[in-house]
Amino acid sequence: MTPTPPPPAASTPSCDVQHGCITCGDEGVVMTVLALEDDGLGACAAPGGAREAVDLSLVAPVEPGDEVLVHAGVALVHLAAGEGEWTAA
Amino acid sequence: MDGGMRFVEEFRDPALGRALAGEILGAVEPGRHYKLMEVCGGHTHSIYKYGVDDLLPQNVELVHGPGCPVCVIPMGRVDDGIAIAREPGVIFACFGDMMRVPGSEATLLEAKAEGADVRMVYSPLDALRIARENPDREVVFFAIGFETTAPSTALTLKRAKAEGVPNFTVMCNHVLIVPPLRALLESPDLRLDGFVGPGHVSTVVGARPFHFIPADYGKPVVIAGFEPLDILHAIRMLLAQLAEGRCEVENQYTRVVPWEGNVRALEVMAEVFALRPHFEWRGLGFISQSALRLSDAYAELDAEERFPVPGVRVADPKACQCGEVLKGVIKPFECKVFGTACTPERPIGTCMVSSEGACAAYYNYGRFAREREVV
Repeated sequence: MTPTPPPPAASTPSCDVQHGCITCGDEGVVMTVLALEDDGLGACAAPGGAREAVDLSLVAPVEPGDEVLVHAGVALVHLAAGEGEWTAA
Repeated sequence: MDGGMRFVEEFRDPALGRALAGEILGAVEPGRHYKLMEVCGGHTHSIYKYGVDDLLPQNVELVHGPGCPVCVIPMGRVDDGIAIAREPGVIFACFGDMMRVPGSEATLLEAKAEGADVRMVYSPLDALRIARENPDREVVFFAIGFETTAPSTALTLKRAKAEGVPNFTVMCNHVLIVPPLRALLESPDLRLDGFVGPGHVSTVVGARPFHFIPADYGKPVVIAGFEPLDILHAIRMLLAQLAEGRCEVENQYTRVVPWEGNVRALEVMAEVFALRPHFEWRGLGFISQSALRLSDAYAELDAEERFPVPGVRVADPKACQCGEVLKGVIKPFECKVFGTACTPERPIGTCMVSSEGACAAYYNYGRFAREREVV
């Protein structure tokens, strides 16, 4: 006996599968700090991406040109230069 | 530009991937079946996007964990959000995927179609901006996510309190990663050999919270990044621990995850949030001290204090087997409604809504009804 499914919600997908889900806690983006602003905020951009306001207060001090890992508008990690190199294999 | 790509391209190098796959093949014991859980939905998505599982020997099985906050939100909380969104004068702000999660009667997107002012935002700061721009309206942000989004909500609440934005509140659904892992490890129907630990959650909480897994349950954990080589490397590290009889927390994602996490983020969270005594997880039931509410100091910014919410517990649809999928007991294609009644366009269960849900990952990358092909 297969239970009858309830009527599904009629809705249109809005998320971009290729770029992942912005809701999930692990959708982080590496951004470059472009300029520092008042109140812990700063302007940052992902490679090829638009300029965005990011809260830098959790990783301060940072300087323009530094790279940070941003999630939901907040920088969580200050990435040091050279740490992206693959050395495991 | 180059700097950003440095973190991406070299972690997708096919030659290095093949070399790692060869090392993994050499590390497995013939006749032994390895069951490894990737905790985070971001890993699930990467594994199917890049076909990581096709590079693994047949006796290494990946089980998909509960690490997608959309997938674990129970129907009753969606209903509560819709009830607030339908209050007169309310602007209800939430992340995009959340709008499509079915409640017992409707989704937030359908509530919007019926006249509720529901708006998609990319960060809680956007919701605060909407509140500043609409002082005559009540703006409610539906906060969801693990420890990576919680700092963003916490900082926004601190700003709202400092600025005195009276028309901004938050409906808090933030959850914690450790309690469901403990619940899964206590589950009698799940046998696991090790965990691919969550990468970006660990940037906030650090590695220490995962020590109970080797200490209390004797399973290794490797915190991993999200590129295909990160995941293969983490699997190789887990297999090495198992082969050598070691059992510890290791960090594969050292280029991003500091061992101690982000102490400042944890301090802000401790100020703004308090533990809920219990919280319902879809498919996993009530788990004690597994979610956050606003602390007493921030009660005036708590949407659940300002607006009436039904707070009714709603049973999941009977046909939906998201619970078993979340626990890794069945594969998505083994669910009776997978790909037929339940699709990303018309989801029944939450695992089909978010692109990081296991069902959506299987559906979008063509894993409709088959086991993995043998390498």
